[in-house]
Amino acid sequence: MLGTLAQHGTDTVGDGAAAAGAHVAHAAESIAAATPGAELMLAVPALTLLAAILCGLCAAFRVRSKLPAWLSVGCLGASFVCVLLTYLNLAGEHGAGGIVPRIAHGFEWLTFQWGRGGTGGEGRSFVADFSLYVDSLTCLWMLFVTGLATLIGLYASEYMVGDVKTAGYSRFFAAFNLFVLSMSCLVMADNLVLLYLGWEGVGLCSYLLIGYFYKKPSAVAAAKKAFIMNRIGDLGLSLGLMLTFVHFGTVQFNELWPLIQSYASGATPTPFIVQLIPVLFTVGAFGKSAQIPLYVWLPDAMEGPTPVSALIHAATMVTAGVYLVARFLPIYALSEWALPIVAWGGALTALLAATIGMAQFDIKRIMAYSTVSQLGYMFAGLGVLGSVGAASHVFTHAFFKALLFLACGAVMHGFAGQLDLRKLSGVQKMPGWRIVGLTMLVGCLNLAGFPLITAGFWSKDMILADAFSHPQFRAIGWILLITAGLTAYYTFRVYFRVFMGPKYFEPGDELHAAAHGDDHGEAHDAAGHVTHSAAPHGQHMAAEGALAAKGHAHDHGHADAHGVFHPHPPGWAINLVLTILALATFAAIPLFFIGDHHGWVGDLVHGSSSNPASAAAAHEAAMHGHGPHGGSFLGMDPHAVMYYVSAVVGIIGIGIAFVLHLAGRTTPATSRADALLPALGPIARAAQHKWYVDELYGVLFVTPLRVLSHIFHLIDKLLVDGLVNLFGWLPRGIGSFVRRSQSGVLHDYGLRMASGLAIILLIVLLGVLR
Amino acid sequence: MNLALLIAIPLVFAFAVALSRPAQARLLATIGTLLPVALYIVQALGFPWLRGETDFYNTDAIDLFPSLGVRLSLNADTVSMLLIGLTVLLGPICVIGSYTAVQDRLKTYYGWLLVLQAAMTGVFAARDAVLFFVFFEFTLVPMYILISLYGSTNRKAAATKFFLYTFTGSVIMLAGLAYIAWVSATRTGEWSFDLTTLTVASSEYLSNREQAWVFGALMLGFAVKVPLFPLHTWLPLAHTEAPTAGSVILAGVLLKLGTYGMYKFVLPMCPEAALAYAPLVAVVSIIGILYAGLICWVQTDVKKLVAYSSVSHLGFCVLGLFSMTSIGLTGSLLYMINHGLSTGALFLLIGMMYERYHTRSMKELGGLAARMPVWATFMVFFVMSSVGLPGLNGFVSELYCLLGTFQAGDEWAHHPTRAGLGGPLGPWFAAVAAVGMIVGAMYLLYMVGKVVWGPLVEPHGHGAHAHGHRHSAGAPASAPSDAHAHLPADLTPREIGILLPLAALCIFLGVYPRPVLKALEGPTQQMVESLHMHTRGSLQTPWPVGAPPPPRPAHTAPAATDPHDVPANQHPADEPPAAPASGGAGAGSAQEAGH
Repeated sequence: MLGTLAQHGTDTVGDGAAAAGAHVAHAAESIAAATPGAELMLAVPALTLLAAILCGLCAAFRVRSKLPAWLSVGCLGASFVCVLLTYLNLAGEHGAGGIVPRIAHGFEWLTFQWGRGGTGGEGRSFVADFSLYVDSLTCLWMLFVTGLATLIGLYASEYMVGDVKTAGYSRFFAAFNLFVLSMSCLVMADNLVLLYLGWEGVGLCSYLLIGYFYKKPSAVAAAKKAFIMNRIGDLGLSLGLMLTFVHFGTVQFNELWPLIQSYASGATPTPFIVQLIPVLFTVGAFGKSAQIPLYVWLPDAMEGPTPVSALIHAATMVTAGVYLVARFLPIYALSEWALPIVAWGGALTALLAATIGMAQFDIKRIMAYSTVSQLGYMFAGLGVLGSVGAASHVFTHAFFKALLFLACGAVMHGFAGQLDLRKLSGVQKMPGWRIVGLTMLVGCLNLAGFPLITAGFWSKDMILADAFSHPQFRAIGWILLITAGLTAYYTFRVYFRVFMGPKYFEPGDELHAAAHGDDHGEAHDAAGHVTHSAAPHGQHMAAEGALAAKGHAHDHGHADAHGVFHPHPPGWAINLVLTILALATFAAIPLFFIGDHHGWVGDLVHGSSSNPASAAAAHEAAMHGHGPHGGSFLGMDPHAVMYYVSAVVGIIGIGIAFVLHLAGRTTPATSRADALLPALGPIARAAQHKWYVDELYGVLFVTPLRVLSHIFHLIDKLLVDGLVNLFGWLPRGIGSFVRRSQSGVLHDYGLRMASGLAIILLIVLLGVLR
Repeated sequence: MNLALLIAIPLVFAFAVALSRPAQARLLATIGTLLPVALYIVQALGFPWLRGETDFYNTDAIDLFPSLGVRLSLNADTVSMLLIGLTVLLGPICVIGSYTAVQDRLKTYYGWLLVLQAAMTGVFAARDAVLFFVFFEFTLVPMYILISLYGSTNRKAAATKFFLYTFTGSVIMLAGLAYIAWVSATRTGEWSFDLTTLTVASSEYLSNREQAWVFGALMLGFAVKVPLFPLHTWLPLAHTEAPTAGSVILAGVLLKLGTYGMYKFVLPMCPEAALAYAPLVAVVSIIGILYAGLICWVQTDVKKLVAYSSVSHLGFCVLGLFSMTSIGLTGSLLYMINHGLSTGALFLLIGMMYERYHTRSMKELGGLAARMPVWATFMVFFVMSSVGLPGLNGFVSELYCLLGTFQAGDEWAHHPTRAGLGGPLGPWFAAVAAVGMIVGAMYLLYMVGKVVWGPLVEPHGHGAHAHGHRHSAGAPASAPSDAHAHLPADLTPREIGILLPLAALCIFLGVYPRPVLKALEGPTQQMVESLHMHTRGSLQTPWPVGAPPPPRPAHTAPAATDPHDVPANQHPADEPPAAPASGGAGAGSAQEAGH
C-alpha cells in the first residue's frame, strides 16, 4: 500500500501552503483529499458529540427516565450505520475488501504557520486539523467500536437502570458517548495530534467511568491510578509525536508514509531518531493497552460499571495501543529495538497476566487479567510482524471479551454484586439464566481457543504460527503456547465453578444497600453514612440523604418481604445483547476463509499502512538481511501444524479445569484444585497477590516520590523562603513603613499611592539623570 | 481613545464607589467592570487581528514630561489585545463572584478592585516604559489592600511579603529600563521611553556585557512576578491568604505581567543575552515545573495546591518564551490566557467551596460531589483543562510550548552564527519538562480524588449553621452577617453564570483555537525575525559575558559555569566585580536584596 500511495502521489502537486521539502507528501495528500467518499465518517464524531451533549442536558435538566439511554443507543446505532455504509460503499476498490485511503476534512484545529520568507529559512507549518483518515484499518476498528458501543449501550440501558432516578444515569451515558467520540477521533485521526486527542480523551472517559461510583474510595483510587498510568504512557506518545514532527516536519499520516518509506529501502541507515520514535510510541501503547510495566491499572479498572469494563476495558479502548502499533508498523519495521520490545513485552505480559488470572477469585478480575493477557498476544503478534493475526485477534477478542464481561455483569447484576466464584455455583441451571449460561459458554470457548468452532481459535492460531515462523522469536512462540493452555484452564475454571456444578449462591454485598444490583450503587456509602433501618418492607435500605429515595423507587429489589434473597435474572435487553454477541462470534468464523490474505481482516490489514508484507520487507532492508527468516515448530512448518497444536493445548487446558473444578465437586467453595494448593506453597499465594507488583511499585516509585515531595516542601518552606525572609528583615524600615499603612481609610491610601508614585518617578529621574 | 476608555471607566467608577453609599458599591462595581467588557467586544470586532503588525491602534499620545520624553501613549497590538481581553473578562467575574464572599467595607473593596482593573489594563496597553512601570507598580497597591484587609488569618504578613518582594524586583527592573533610556538618550540626544525606541536602543547600542546586565535586571523584576523558581515563595502565601477575587486576579492577570514583560521587554531588548541565557532560564523553569508540581502533591490546603500549581504551570509558559521560536512564543502567549482562564476558575471554585464550608483543608473535606454535583462538574472540567486534556484550552498551549522547545534547535540552526550550535533549547529540555504533564495529573487528580470524590466528608458542625462560622472575609471586627448560611448546598445561578463564560472559552480555545493561532502567527513571526536579526551570536551560552566572538573568551570575571550545574542560581548575570553603569550598579545591589 505504501508503494501505491507513493505512486499515486507523484502525479499531483500540493497547494504549496504547507511544508516544503515534502513534495511527495504533498502529492499524497492531494490524492487522498481529492478522493471523496469518506465524508459520512464525519457523522460519527458529530453524532456521538450530539448524544453526549444531550445526555449532559438530561443531567442538567434532571431528566429521570431512560431517555439518555435511548438517545445514546439511537445515536450510536446511527453512527454504526454510517461506518457500515461508508465501508460497503468503498469496499473492494483496493484488493478484496480493502479501500483506498482517503481524508475527510473537518475543520482547522491546531494548524500553525511560520517562517514565511523571513530570516528563519523556508516557510514551515504545523498542520494538525480535525480531519479523518479513512482506510481499511480505520474501517475495521470503527466497525467494531461503533457496533459494540451500540450493543453495550443497549445492555447498559437495562444494567444501569438502578440509577435512573439519579443524575448518574445521564452522567453514565454522557461519558459513554464521549468515549465513543474520543475513540473515533483516535482511530480515524489523520494526524498524530488528533490521535493524541482521542488517546487522552478515552483516558478521561475511562477515568470518569471507572470512578462512576465516586463514593467508593477504591473506585476513586482505581480511576486515579488508571489516569496517571495512562499519562505515563501518554508522555511517551507525546514525545514521539514531537520527535516525529521535528524529524519529518509533519504529523499527518498521509505525508508521513512516503517519508517513512524513503528509509525502507535500506539504502541509507535509519537515523537514531527514527528508531527512537517507535520506542516512544510503544510506551504510549503499553500504557493504554495495559502491558508490562504499565498494566496494573486495568484490573483495578473493574471498579467501573460492567458495561464500561466490557466496552472500554476489554473491547475497544485497550486495543488503542494495538491500533497505534499496527498503524505505525512501517516505522516500527525500521527500528532495531522497537519490534523486539513489542514482541517480548506482549509475550511476557500474556504469561504474567495469565498466571495471575489463574489464582484470582473475582470473576470480573479474572476477565480483566485475561484481557491483559490477550492484549499481550496481540502485541506479540505485531512484534513478529504478524499484523494480520494481531488485528484478527483484536476483532474477535472485541466480541468474545465483551460477551464474557457482559455475561459476568449479568451475574453480578442478578446476584447483588456477587463476583466471588467460590460463592456462586450452577447458575446455568437456575430459572431465567439459560441464555446467560449458554452465551458465557460461547465466550469461554472463544477465549480458551476451542478448536474449529470458535473465532478466537482462528485468530490466536495466526499469532502463534507467526511467532513460530521467526526463529529468533521462537521463545515467544513457546511462551504464547503455554499461555494458551493456561488461558483455557482459567477460563473454564470460571465457567465450571460459576455456571456448572451444584446450584448455590450467596448474594453480594449490595443486598442491604437495596439499590439495584448495579455494582456498589450510589447508595453504598462507605464512610459510615449508611444507616441500616427498617424500611417499609422490612428490607435493609440505605437511608442516606437524597439517595434513599432511590431504593424505594426501585421496586424489583432482591429481597422479598421475609428478607430472602432471590436472584434477579436479566431482562430482554441484556439477553438480546448477549445473544447477538454470541452469534457474532460464530459469524466471524467464515470471515477467516474469504479474501486473499488470510480472511477478511487480512485483506483490510493488507490494504492499510500496517501491511505486513511491506513492513517485513522494510524490516529486512533496515536490518540488512538480519531480519526474520523462516522458522519452524519442531521442524515443521508452523503455519501448517499450529492448528493442531493449539487445538490440543486448548483442550488439555479445558480438561484440566474440568478435572480440578467440576468433576466430583459437591460444594461451591471447594474443588480438587484446593488440594493442590499446599503443594504449590508460596507460589499460589504470590499469584493470588498479583505477584506483589502493586506493592513493589509502591515501594519503588510512589513512596520515594512522596518522600521527595515532602522534602521539597520542607526545603521550600525553610530554605528558599527562609532566605527570602532573611533578606526581608534587612530593610526593616520599609517593612515598618508598609505595616503602618494599613489604616483602611481610602483617602489615606490615595495619598500614599500618590506619594509612592512620586517616589517612583523620583527614582526614575534620579536613575536617568545620573 | 477606546483603550483609554477601558482604563478610565473602571477608574471613574472607582471614584463613584468611593463617593457612594456602601449599598451601591456592588452595583457600581458591576457596571464599572461590565461596561469595559461591552466596549472590549465592540473593539475586538473591529480589531485587525490578522494584520500581523506589531504596532497599530495608536491612541493619541500625550506628553507627560516632555523633557524626559515620558508620554502617555497607549496602544494595543494583537498580544496586548488578547491579554486585555483576559483582564477585562475577569473583572466582572471577580466582582460578581464577591457578592456574598465580601460583606463589609464594601466601598474599599470594590473601589480598589476597580482601580486594580484599570491598572492591569494599563500595563498591557502602555507603550511607554515609564507609563508601563507606573501601571505595573500601581497594581501592587490595590492588591496589597485586598489581601491585607480581606484575606484570611495570616493576611498581613502575606500582603507585606507580596508587596516588598515584587516591589524590590520591579525597582531593579526599572533601573534596567532607565539604563537603556540613558544609553538611548546619549546616542540620540533625545530622551524617550517609548518602547520601540528603547527596543532599538537596547538591541543595537548595548554591548554584550551591558545587555547581559540589563537582561539580568529586567529578568529579575519579571521573574519575581511570574514567579520563577526560586523567587516564588511569595505566591503560595499571597494566594492562600488573598480573598477569592484577589486570587483570581493574581493568578489570572498579575502573574502574566511577568511573562508579558518577558515577551515585550526582555526578548526584544536583550536578544543576545536572552539567547545566551535561555538554557539557564529554561533549567530554572523546568525545575519550577517539577519541583512545584511535586510540592503540590503533598499539600493539604486546596488553595495552596492550586497556588503552587501556578508556579509549575508558568514554568511551561517561560519555557515556551525562551524557546525563541514562533510556535513556542505562540504557545506561551496562549498559555497566559489559558492559565488565566482555568486557574482563575479553579480559584473561583475553591472560593465557592470555602464560602460554604469555611475550610480549605483536604482533611476536613471530601466527596463534595455528593453535596454539590454542579460544583463538582465544573471542578472536574477545569481540572481537566488545567491538566492539559486535548480538546480543552490547556493542551494547545502546553503542546506548543513543548513543541517550540523541542524544535528550537532546528529553527535556530538556520541562523548563520549558530550553525552547529543549534537553538537555545532542544529536545532534552522539552523531554524533561514534559514529565510535568504526569506530575500535573498526579497532584490535580489527587486533589479531585480527595475533595470531589470519595465518601462525603464535611467539616464538623457544618449544616447546623449554629456555630463555628469564621467569616470568609476574615474581617476581624465585622458583625457576623451570616449571608453564607443562605447559600444553598450547590451553586447558585449567579455562581454558575460566572463560571460558564470561562468554561465556554476553555472549550472554544481547545476545540477551535485556529483564529487565535492565526492572529498570533504574525506577531510571533516578527518577534522571531527580529531576534534572529539582532543576535550576532557573539554572546555564547557557556558563560562569560561580553567576550569577543568565539571560540574562547579570554577575560571577564564570572567563572564559566555550566547552566546545568547551577540550576538554583536564579539570575544569570551573577555579580561581576564591577557594575557597568549607574543603572547596573543599582541593579547589582538591589539584586542581592532580592536573592
